[in-house]
Amino acid sequence: MSIRKKKSRPAVVTPTETILESISDGVFTVDMEWRITSFNRAAEEITGVPREEAIQRVCSEVFRCSMCGADCALQLTLETGKPIIGKSGYIITAEGNRIPISISTAVLKDAQGQVVGGAETFRDLSEIEALRRELDSRFRVADLVSRSPLMQRIFEVLPAIAASPSTVLILGETGTGKELMARTIHDLSPRQQGPFIAVNCGALPDTLLESELFGYKAGAFTGAGKDKLGRFALARGGTIFLDEIGDVSPALQVRLLRVLQERTFEPLGATRSEQTDARVIVATNRDLAELTRSGAFREDLYYRVNVVRVQLPPLRRRKEDIPLLVDHFINRFNRLQRKAIQGIAPEALSLLMAHHWPGNVRELANAVERAFIMCEGGLISIAHLPEELTAHGASAAAGADVRSAHDLLDAQSIRSALERNGYNRLAAARQLGIHKTTLFRRIKKLGISLPEQDGRSRTPPAR
Amino acid sequence: MSKAAFAYWDNRIAPVFDCARQIRLVETDASGISTETQEMPPDDQPVQKALRLAELAVDTLVCGAISRSLHETISACGIRVVPFVAGEVEEIIQAWRSGNLQGDAYAMPGCRRHRRSLRRFTPERGRNFSCKKPGDKK
Repeated sequence: MSIRKKKSRPAVVTPTETILESISDGVFTVDMEWRITSFNRAAEEITGVPREEAIQRVCSEVFRCSMCGADCALQLTLETGKPIIGKSGYIITAEGNRIPISISTAVLKDAQGQVVGGAETFRDLSEIEALRRELDSRFRVADLVSRSPLMQRIFEVLPAIAASPSTVLILGETGTGKELMARTIHDLSPRQQGPFIAVNCGALPDTLLESELFGYKAGAFTGAGKDKLGRFALARGGTIFLDEIGDVSPALQVRLLRVLQERTFEPLGATRSEQTDARVIVATNRDLAELTRSGAFREDLYYRVNVVRVQLPPLRRRKEDIPLLVDHFINRFNRLQRKAIQGIAPEALSLLMAHHWPGNVRELANAVERAFIMCEGGLISIAHLPEELTAHGASAAAGADVRSAHDLLDAQSIRSALERNGYNRLAAARQLGIHKTTLFRRIKKLGISLPEQDGRSRTPPAR
Repeated sequence: MSKAAFAYWDNRIAPVFDCARQIRLVETDASGISTETQEMPPDDQPVQKALRLAELAVDTLVCGAISRSLHETISACGIRVVPFVAGEVEEIIQAWRSGNLQGDAYAMPGCRRHRRSLRRFTPERGRNFSCKKPGDKK
């Protein structure tokens, strides 16, 4: 925003005024009646209010900041005598645009030390905000959030995958976000205006799944009073997502193969085939190649679905995403639950980073959601996290301080090392870089329970 | 019968409607008799503020600065918005009753040009917010 016409300026006389006119931060001062007594050039440019219109007006009506009113920072400074530095907010311009700013305040005193008003400086953060958004967009594709190189590689090819009509196979452990990935591919595809139909093939018995997928005609079986459209018909012009494809019976695999090969299907009781143009995305958490080798999954269907493959890494292999995902879930739950949780305490985040996450991103989302129930406001601390994360739930709840966080992290590291080394204490101590007696002392101190077998007779598995 | 809402703070029109926490509702019946009530608009999602005003059957909202998105949401609820108004709330209510609110006398500093555009673009003609388009040069 700028003031286009050059206004007649009062002659600048003092060095202070020259400095105030030359800086890029907005500065204004008010008297004890909250009326503006000075307003520099940058203040004009950021707010869009000419100086002659601002002088002697009530500051809140000139500044129009989100803090103006009950949360006025300058009022707080005048009441307490303490300056406020870098508080964030936004102002609203005459065009209705929100400009992000940071403000600082100070008390103005005369030569005798009497308070005569206040001064406020503010900085336009629009460019910083735009840069932050640009940086953020590098780690985000639709609802997928990640800064992990493993996921970044997927993000790079995702637009090309979305643009093609080929069948996609999404592989990944439970909770890694297979359906979210499928939905993202649909949302980025030319079919985004069409429907996205998800079917969990593992959740339905075979006969029911068949009628769900292909539909039926009236009279096809007892109780089929009228025609019912199947999911393939409903997905016309859009995408059908078949989750848990590895759990489909051999009989139904044959019918699916026909749909994928010929793009036709027959509803139960129909005498004619129907065409489908739905794009097919399938997913499984099972090893399809192994299922194919063992004969549980048809080889021809495997090659038909395995056209484009997306392998979602488990959360334990992309732990660098945990802070980003936690922020994402906190923002989401703040919106959904209308709360104002500010973030997560460093020691609680350390604990999340140390966890193995067998349930992957879903487990992390559930942990944050649970913390939202326990946490009234401020930061999520260790006491708000589920017991399975804190390991010794009671001690964490009692003393959620840095020391207990340290103990919990210690215990988790020792448990992980022992598990990795088949409970061979010596091997675990070596891996942790400590002497075995130190390990025994810590196991005892931290109350870590160990299995009967000590792992000495077993070869430690390679990491 | 008409109902106007005046967002206020400390006996003046609240400087920013997006954060306003108090509203004075002035209802005028066919015989010209007015009744006034107070309302606390929801303080969370902007859309909740708009829905609450619609729920209260408000015809006109008189407010201070308002963000474009919130303005558009409220207008979409069929509520006429008179934005960027400044002054003592009693004086503004009087000006509204006498039909003098559109004058520059009640405009926030730096908003006169935009309030002139407000008169040109009435709700019936489709656009009532600003003469500037988002892509216009500043």
